[in-house]
This record gives sequence, C-alpha cells and structure tokens, in this order.
Amino acid sequence: MLRIYCLLFLLFTALGTKAVGNKHKHMHPKPGTISFPGAHYSDPEPSGEFATLVIPIKRVSNLIILEAKVDTVEGNFVLDTGAPYLVLNQTYFRDAPHYDDQEAGGINGSAGAAFRTNVRNLDIADLHYDRLLADVTDLSAIENSRNIKVLGLLGTKLFSKFAITVDLFQNQLYIHKLDKNGEIPAAEELYHEPILKMPFYYANNAILFKAWVNDIPLWFAFDTGAETNLVDYRQAKKLMPTLQIINRSKLTGIGGSTFEVVYAKFDKLMVGERVFTNNKVIITSLEQMGKAYGRDIDGMLGADFFGRAVFTINFVKREFVMYTNKTE
Amino acid sequence: MLVFCSTWPALAQIRQNAFTIADDQMVLYLDLKLKKTDIDSLLRIADIKGVTVDNLLRGNFSLLQKDGWTINRMADNRLMLMKPLNELAANPQMRPFLITSNMVMHNKQPGYPDEDVKFGINNFLRQNVHELSSGVTRFFLPANLKAKRVLLSGNFNSWSTSKGVMLKTDSGWIYDIKLDAGEYLYKFVVNGRWINDGGNLLKEDDGFEDHNSVYFKYNYTFRLNAFPKAARVMLAGSFNSWNPNQIVMMPAGAGVWTRSMYLHEGSHAYRFLVDGKWNKDPANPNTQTDAAGNINSVLNIGEPLVFKLNGFANAKNVIVSGSFNKWRTGELHLYRSGNQWILPYALPAGNYGYKFIVDGRWMTDPDNQSYIDQDGQTNSFLAVKPNHTFILKGYDRAKNVRLSGTFNDWNEPGWTMAHHGDTWSISIYLIPGKTIYKFIVDGNWIIDPGNKLWEQNQFNTGNSVFWMER
Repeated sequence: MLRIYCLLFLLFTALGTKAVGNKHKHMHPKPGTISFPGAHYSDPEPSGEFATLVIPIKRVSNLIILEAKVDTVEGNFVLDTGAPYLVLNQTYFRDAPHYDDQEAGGINGSAGAAFRTNVRNLDIADLHYDRLLADVTDLSAIENSRNIKVLGLLGTKLFSKFAITVDLFQNQLYIHKLDKNGEIPAAEELYHEPILKMPFYYANNAILFKAWVNDIPLWFAFDTGAETNLVDYRQAKKLMPTLQIINRSKLTGIGGSTFEVVYAKFDKLMVGERVFTNNKVIITSLEQMGKAYGRDIDGMLGADFFGRAVFTINFVKREFVMYTNKTE
Repeated sequence: MLVFCSTWPALAQIRQNAFTIADDQMVLYLDLKLKKTDIDSLLRIADIKGVTVDNLLRGNFSLLQKDGWTINRMADNRLMLMKPLNELAANPQMRPFLITSNMVMHNKQPGYPDEDVKFGINNFLRQNVHELSSGVTRFFLPANLKAKRVLLSGNFNSWSTSKGVMLKTDSGWIYDIKLDAGEYLYKFVVNGRWINDGGNLLKEDDGFEDHNSVYFKYNYTFRLNAFPKAARVMLAGSFNSWNPNQIVMMPAGAGVWTRSMYLHEGSHAYRFLVDGKWNKDPANPNTQTDAAGNINSVLNIGEPLVFKLNGFANAKNVIVSGSFNKWRTGELHLYRSGNQWILPYALPAGNYGYKFIVDGRWMTDPDNQSYIDQDGQTNSFLAVKPNHTFILKGYDRAKNVRLSGTFNDWNEPGWTMAHHGDTWSISIYLIPGKTIYKFIVDGNWIIDPGNKLWEQNQFNTGNSVFWMER
C-alpha cells in the first residue's frame, strides 16, 4: 500500500513540474510493464522536532551566512533565494559522486554546474534532510571577494514546506513550521504589524513579483544572494528620465572576467503597497539570468531592498511579508 | 558600494546629470570650460580611462573612438560623448546567486580585529573573562540557567555557531580555551540568539547594527620600581602614539607601579611621565635616542631572534636592514661578540627579506639558504613565527622549486624551497584566512599534488587552496 502511494506521489509531482516530462513524452512502454514517463527523483520531506527554529546568522558584506552540515562536512553556507536548491562549492566537493541525471543542465545552462551529486544528509540546526540532489559548482568568487570559507548555498527548494523570517537587525533566521492552512501558528508568531504583505510567484524555484520603479511596473526576482539591486539595461530607456545615473564602472565576474555596469539611483520603489525611497540599482544585462529562471526578468531585488526591514517568505502560501523596524 | 562613496562628492560640485542615459545611449556631457580637475572627475564617472583632459582640449579623440564612443561637438565649447547602452549586454554573470560587487580580496577576514592593534587594556564592568592559573582563558556567561544550548562564538573559532559549546554550572555557563596573547572578539549564542557580554565595556562595532565584545589576553606587565611618593604616573610609548594621558600606572604598594596589558610583538620605545616629568625606565638598560634627542627605554616583545654574522673580524660597521624596517640603513647596528657580530631583536610574525651591510657593502646572510626576491633584488628570507610548512614530495631532479601565492602577491620568481631528502619545503607565516598558491618547479607552475583542495583560475590551470585557522 505504501509503495503504491509513493509511486503515485512521484507521478503527481512529475505532472506538477514544468520541463521535466518533455524528455520522456514519446516513450512507448512495453506491454505488461508499468512506466511513469516524466517521473523524476523527488527529494524526501525534511524532518525536525521544532515549531520555530532559531538560527544565528553571520553577515559578510551583504551576504547572509549560516552554518550547516552536509554529510560529514560542517561550515558556512549562504542563504540564497537566487539559488534553486542546495549548491555546493566545487573546491570542497570535487570528489563527490556524480549523480547520473540526463537533465543536469537544469537551471544553470551551459556555464553552470560542473555536475550533480547526491547528498546523504543535510542538517541546518535541528532541521534534517535525508538524501538530496545538489549541484556542485565553482563558488570561489564568493570566497575570494569576501575571504570567508563557503561550502555552498542554501536555495529556495530547501524551504518549500516552511516560512522563513530573516531579521538582519538581530542577525537571526527563523524557520517556521506551518499549520494546515499554511500559516505560522499564532502562538509562534514573532513579529507583528507588517508594513507590507504581498503574494509572489514561485516558478522554477525562483521568487518573482511585480514592483514599481517610479511608477513603472517591472518583474523582479527576489535574491538574498544579490548584494545590490539590478535592472536590465533594456528597461533603462523606459525608466529614464526618472533614474539618476551615478557612474559607470567595471565589475569582476567569475574567473576574473570584467564587464561594465552603470550605477544609478531612483526615488520611488513600490513593493506591495509600500513605498521605499532612496534606492540604488545597477544597470546591467539580465538576459542570461532570464535563461536561468526560465523567464525574462526585468530586475532583481537584493540587499539594498531587503536590508531595510525584517522579512518573511512563506513558501506554502506564496506570501512575502515585511515588518516595521526602526530604520525606514 | 565603494565606487559610489568615492565619486559622489565630486559629482556634487559639478553639474548633475552630466552622465546620463538617453534612448539607447550612455551620454556624457563635457563642458570643456570647466576646471581640468572637474573634467577629470566627469571622465572617471563615465569610467573613461587613458584619456587626458589635454587630449580633449586639443581635439584628439582617437582613444575615445577606439573605445566605442561617438563624439559630438556642441555649442559653447562643450562635447557630447555617446556610447550604446547595449555594451552592458556583455555580461558573464549567468547565475543569479553570484552577484557580488567589485571588491578585491581582503587580507583580513570579516569580523576580525585589525592586525595592527599595538596594545590593549581590558575594561570590565563585571569581569566575565578570567585567566586561570593553568594558562587557560575562561569565558563565563552568568545566569541563563534555563537555556538549552549556549555557545561561545568569536574570532578564535571562526565565529562558529556550532562549536564552542559551553558547560553549565550552578551560576552560569563556562568555556575554557587556550589562547595566545592578542585581541579577541566574541559573543554568546543562547538558544540560537546572539547575546553580548553585558559586563564588558570594551566593544567593537561589527558593522551590522550591533557590536562584538573585545577581550585582550595580556602578555606584558610594565613595572616601575621607583618614585614611591609620586602622585600620578603615566605610561606612554610608540605603541600608543606617545599619548601621555591614556595609560595610568597603578600603585601596587611598596613603591611599585604596574600596568598589565597586551602588547603587540615587535620593538617598542616607552617612558614614564612621573608627576609631569618624563623618565626612562630605571630598570631597563636598553635605551634608544630618538630624533628629538630624547632617551627612551626600549623593549622587545615576542620570540627573540638574533641576527648573526660570523667572521668579518676587521669590519668596522655591520648593519642589518630589511623589509621590517623599510630598509633603513643607519638604524640596526650589530655589535661584536666573540667571533661574531650579533643583534638581538624581536619582530611580529611575518615573512621578511633582509641583508647585512658590511662597511657599506650589501650582502645576503651567508648562513641562510633561503632567498626571497623583492623589487628585483635577491634578499635573505626570514619567517618569524612560521605557522605552515608547504611540502612538495619528489621532483628530485628539479634544479629549483619555489613557492608563490596570495601571501606574496604571486611574486614571480617565488620564494625558494629547501631540498631535504626526497622533499622540498618552506615554512612561512600565513595570516588567518584563505591562501591560494602554487609551486614553481624549474619555471613550471603546478598545483600542490599533496592538496586535494583547489579552484579554477583565469588560465584554466588551477590554484591550490589552503585555509589558515586562527
């Protein structure tokens, strides 16, 4: 009975995801066999004895760092809503076994993950994951620009059954178990009087929502791994003359390559019903990012935005909430 | 956002919106009548390099055009420079999770004190950090007896939020750790929450709306065994920029004044200010006369080292000079002792180059097989308090094997490694944090075959990675 349930569960999750089934669309099962075209490996449920997990976070520039343990290796991970799931630093996981998956391309495209692996355990404080797929890729750029050892990134899919609250003023991360309505139980609510409450789209493991830049609507991805806000240069024309250009500069990307960006400021960012002033943004090309997300995005909201208040991301209700704080 | 802060003041002086975006172009308006420095600021704002104001005034636009800019002359001696906005499309940032701003690798680790702190004295309201007679440092967090899990986190354990588990006692929680003398930052973690040491008045801004507590583990006590009737004795020295109002000597009874502190390794000059009058330390025979003619007492902290030169019995003058004293040539004189020239000294941990100057002639240390190339010169190599040994096994036929990496800015010839038996090795001092390095075997750069940690570089040849823990 349990076995049938598991197989059915796999089938339903396969049907519920986007690009997965395509490869197997034209397979013809041999008569007399059971096959699940489009079924794919689904990560098991995480487990943990807690109602609200309280985790101390460390800050390095605008990155949010917490400690976690992958198999036997313990160390720093970046809380990164721009990453789809667990991503491991190739320097420390070079010898991890390769998981044979035909669609290892996934979110990362051609210059993406070096390979996929299977991790036996992931522990974030009392939260435990049994058997996870993870991408292994070159994260040395983060280490070298911040001089901190980074074992990997914790992406959105890890929290898909929870709500997470990030308080950068007390440097705490909270992982909330949700009730059957997808809400944080009243007894466990830590913050009150939200200044903004808004639904978001959760597609391809990305958090997407519309926000208004000086009253012009744009689609943004919410990325806690982005230290600055970004906007695509093709939107710049639309946004001028309300953008104030500061300067042009060179940034260094992976492997020491450099590319030009333009720094700008704008006055009014409206998210949900709330207006934020004094916003900084980098104008660059988000074409490749769009490929990673599977859709075109006009911009990304990073630390310049989320650093202004305490925020909660409820992955079940697909709701983004911010709470009052002494600054802004 | 370092670039922001450095250019904003310049822009404020000049007409705003000189650099802007119009249609699909980046546009820079240059009024050639402005001061040269202002025009220069505008060029920097547009990140235009290699073009001088003189080029523009003379109408020499070839460099600009080569760089993709179109130049339009406008009325009233103004220029309009344009470049298509789609140059921004050359963006290798493909993964949303690697959006970092342009910052160069720091030598210091985040959350760690400045290595240059010269001295430190603790300041407690309630002292919660004690030195036990065993030499171990005990951190104490009072109360919190209902807590489930209490940790001590600090720069001595890389700000771990999982190690540093404290032991519960009947009045609080304790953690014992063996520390070297130095400056330490710390905090407690109680049931997942960061807590400061409320009893410690010494704090350091952590850069994120909060502060870390600061503790100095002492390594020296100044003692003045004189002036029993003095009303006030102050201590001042090179380590506190000679501030005469900062460090008070405490009366310890029987005409003795003391002050314990952490003092950074190296050579320090100091004096006592006794009721307004400067005195050198009567108990210290080492003195030094400074440029103003004052006689200061000198003390050396740290592992003593001795510069030695054998022979040269007929020399009149032997001096040692190195990267530790900016290669000054009149400062450190060796003196004759038996059939050697010697100078006892102390240096903070680090990697240095040095040479002897014998009667005006520069020479490397004949008794030292290690060399370091600096600014085109080959100098003798000295590592003080080396904390890591790089080893390369094999390569017996190689003529020379050298080491290069972030600790020496990828110095081209590299630092020589010594050959003993079947291994090449060199011991150096590494600052805490990440080190990337390679070996250079007869001119060929290789990653360390004995180290499984490596990362890719821009040449696709890989760099070996090593983390030095504190």
